[in-house]
Amino acid sequence: MAFQKKNTKKRFFQRRKVCRFCADSTLEIDYKDAKALRPFITERGKIIPRRITGTCAKHQRKLSAAIKQARTIAFLPYVGKLS
Amino acid sequence: MRRYETIFIADPDLQEDARKNLFDKFTNLLAQENGILVDFDDWGNRKLAYEIKKKARGHYVCMTYGGNGALVSELERNFRLDDKIMKFMTVLLEKDVNPSDLEQEIAAAAESKEEAKPATENTEKATEDVEADTTEDTETADDAQEEN
Repeated sequence: MAFQKKNTKKRFFQRRKVCRFCADSTLEIDYKDAKALRPFITERGKIIPRRITGTCAKHQRKLSAAIKQARTIAFLPYVGKLS
Repeated sequence: MRRYETIFIADPDLQEDARKNLFDKFTNLLAQENGILVDFDDWGNRKLAYEIKKKARGHYVCMTYGGNGALVSELERNFRLDDKIMKFMTVLLEKDVNPSDLEQEIAAAAESKEEAKPATENTEKATEDVEADTTEDTETADDAQEEN
């Protein structure tokens, strides 16, 4: 029985995502590069939580700061359009 | 000295010479306040992510320069006064830079630009080099005096 229980639990386990910026140190987080920030916001313009993108805490902090700067200078929207 | 980066969005509907005047005004102001302009990057008309002053496009300019906090506040005060500037943002890049390092960077950037030019402009190159040298000398002398 115990074995079976373990098995059912495993079904929900997902592959561990790795932080994109840790994996590739040449990638830089820059608020001027709006295209690179796009994958980290939703269509509505919200910042995607790191539990979904897999970004590490350190880079998520930098990322969210960069996205907020990009919003200030109109590279990214505060509120995206409903499409 | 600190290194800053300022991005500002100018009115996209300006005439070419009016725009040039506008940019000159700010670069002159920068020089007046003892700032060192490292890079003046004109990105041209770009689509905005949201409308500013009912406009969907804006003329982006990115300036990198060395200066102190007083320079930034003076620059931003003038941005606010000028209604041809739709929006601006200043970001601190480095807290402590050497003015001489900045000047070296400017010289390096100028050199790489000159290399890109055709070789027929060799004579011009020589005169430009001399001019650049003299301005550098005077500026460093001024800095030394201030420190004393």
